Amino acid sequence: MSTWQPKNGLARAINNIEETAIAILLGLMTMITFANVIARYFFNDNILWQLEATVFLFAWLVLFGVSYCVKITAHLGVDVVINELGPGMRKIFGLLTVAVCLVFCLLMLKGGWDYWWKFATKASFLEVNDIPMPGFLQFLADLTNDGEAYEKIPRYIPYFILPFGMALLTLRFLQAGYRIATGEADRVIASHEAEELVEEASAKNKADGGASPKATAADDNIFADKDF
Amino acid sequence: MEAALLFLAIIVLLLIGVPIAVSLGVCSVMFLVILSDSSLASVAQTLFAAFDGHYTLLAIPFFILASSFMSTGGVAARIIRFSIACVGHFRGGLAIAGVFACMLFAALSGSSPATVVAIGTIVITAMRQVGYTKEFAAGVICNAGTLGILIPPSIVMVVYAAAVDVSVGRMFMAGVFPGLMAGGMLMLGIYVWARIKKMAPQPFAGFREIFESGFNALWGLMLIVIILGGIYGGVFTPTEAAAVAAVYAFLIANFVYRDMGPLATPEGEPNHSLFRRPQALITAWFHPDTKKTLLEAGKLTIMLLFIIANALILKHVLTEEQIPQNIARAMLDAGFGPVMFLIIVNVILLIGGQFMEPSGLIVIVAPLVFPIAMKLGIDPIHLGIIMVVNMEIGMITPPVGLNLFVTSGVAGMPMMAVVKAALPWLAILFVFLIIVTYVPGISTWLPTQLMGPEIVTR
Repeated sequence: MSTWQPKNGLARAINNIEETAIAILLGLMTMITFANVIARYFFNDNILWQLEATVFLFAWLVLFGVSYCVKITAHLGVDVVINELGPGMRKIFGLLTVAVCLVFCLLMLKGGWDYWWKFATKASFLEVNDIPMPGFLQFLADLTNDGEAYEKIPRYIPYFILPFGMALLTLRFLQAGYRIATGEADRVIASHEAEELVEEASAKNKADGGASPKATAADDNIFADKDF
Repeated sequence: MEAALLFLAIIVLLLIGVPIAVSLGVCSVMFLVILSDSSLASVAQTLFAAFDGHYTLLAIPFFILASSFMSTGGVAARIIRFSIACVGHFRGGLAIAGVFACMLFAALSGSSPATVVAIGTIVITAMRQVGYTKEFAAGVICNAGTLGILIPPSIVMVVYAAAVDVSVGRMFMAGVFPGLMAGGMLMLGIYVWARIKKMAPQPFAGFREIFESGFNALWGLMLIVIILGGIYGGVFTPTEAAAVAAVYAFLIANFVYRDMGPLATPEGEPNHSLFRRPQALITAWFHPDTKKTLLEAGKLTIMLLFIIANALILKHVLTEEQIPQNIARAMLDAGFGPVMFLIIVNVILLIGGQFMEPSGLIVIVAPLVFPIAMKLGIDPIHLGIIMVVNMEIGMITPPVGLNLFVTSGVAGMPMMAVVKAALPWLAILFVFLIIVTYVPGISTWLPTQLMGPEIVTR
């Protein structure tokens, strides 16, 4: 899981953008929801667009973040069988897996695009329920609404993440396929959510000298486990 | 027939190493497109609706974020100190304190592996230093760590609630008694074991230490009061409670415990005072530590929610094809009663729980068994608790329980040694499972008392 490292400046910059976007989306969701609680109890007021804005940010967080999670191999899966295979078979299974993932992404990309396109063209006048249109986006009215100003943001803005996220996901799975083909990686999954924490803990065990030589031997065993 | 094929395809894909989310998604999409001529656009709409149509699920990112802020080493250490002060003087006291600490930590975090890592790294070492065997230490923590998903707040319960449309608040309340009971049974087991083995007790730390350590841990433990109190007092919805908890945890971690953020210092040195650095009030929000925690929580949220979103597409397929209803009819015709049904559910979940992350499993199995359970007259909340307890046991059942992996990493022991170490305590949890499965009152009494009888539409 923690094996991914940016290789050059561009990769680092993109990584930075992805990580910052994820952090900001989650942070915003939390703050907006929190602000609404404060508004209700202390100012006896209600931020009308809070709920809708939060769910859209939520959708953006997940649909944008899935591609990042493919990059760092964080998606959960079942590794019982592939752990028992030899490297040759594992590679075949790995490539097969990527093929299945690509089928999924392409289908969803098509679906996401179709869905979004409908809202961006024929139904571009449709607005969301509560979120008011910020002024700096009003130029969109000329483009998609015959110059008539939008009162709420048009629906194609939140839905844009569907084709966009799925396109990114397709790209990341292609990259994962390349990594498997070149032997740089052997899978696209992690077995559980705490893998990174456990690695940290066992590394710490090691660094502490593990109190007894026996413990260090056992630590080695865990790493051996990962490699067979 | 098609349904059997659908599930077979999902299982095969899972086993060859396809991510859980994609296995669920690709099979459901294929099924919808080929067999029920839905358009791809409508599938994409279902995917998006997972987020904008299920307000319950919104609680998950906030709970994850709250527990990420709380999972900094400092909070776990404070809880452990408090636990040792409370119960350390019994025979086998440190082990009992370990279980107690796991229970308290479970109340801050919604995940079992996270509980094992946070408590295990500290307690297992401490137990070895005072002369317990490593096996004993690892076995106890491995089991107690599973309480993470039973004691509220629990992410698995939120997922269950969202998957079958029951109240999150009720599920949380229903988890309280079973959680205390499971912890109590483990502690009792350890005490009996320690009496037999004649383990030496530690000296009593004194009430002063209890108060001091308790006060120190209180800031962290207030989180559970905010969440449960807030929901039952009708102050917040569960989602709002989670968001408030996340902000609270951020403030505590940055300004009270100062384990992270602008006021933190390297280990051993006294923390900076807020009065000396008032600018921290602003900088904390943009500090690299804050971003790192947000990112960690974000990653976990994305992983879980992508699985859940795809499982909701599967649920869409199941509902459209009336699959659970058909299975239910077949089962009723075959003369299966509730008892037999619950045994089948137990077995499915025990097997599944070994291979899969609990939230992913519950979101697949719940929509399938829920309609059947309703037909058989099983209480929805009770069913949820049974599923959660099953999941707990699945995590520590050999050969491949998730908690076993985590414990083996944390304790620096080979897998098989952990399996052996966990077995005696696993037996206790098994007895617990049987009790919980066949005595619904343990789960349903508290929510019914506090929130009134529930209305079940069958």
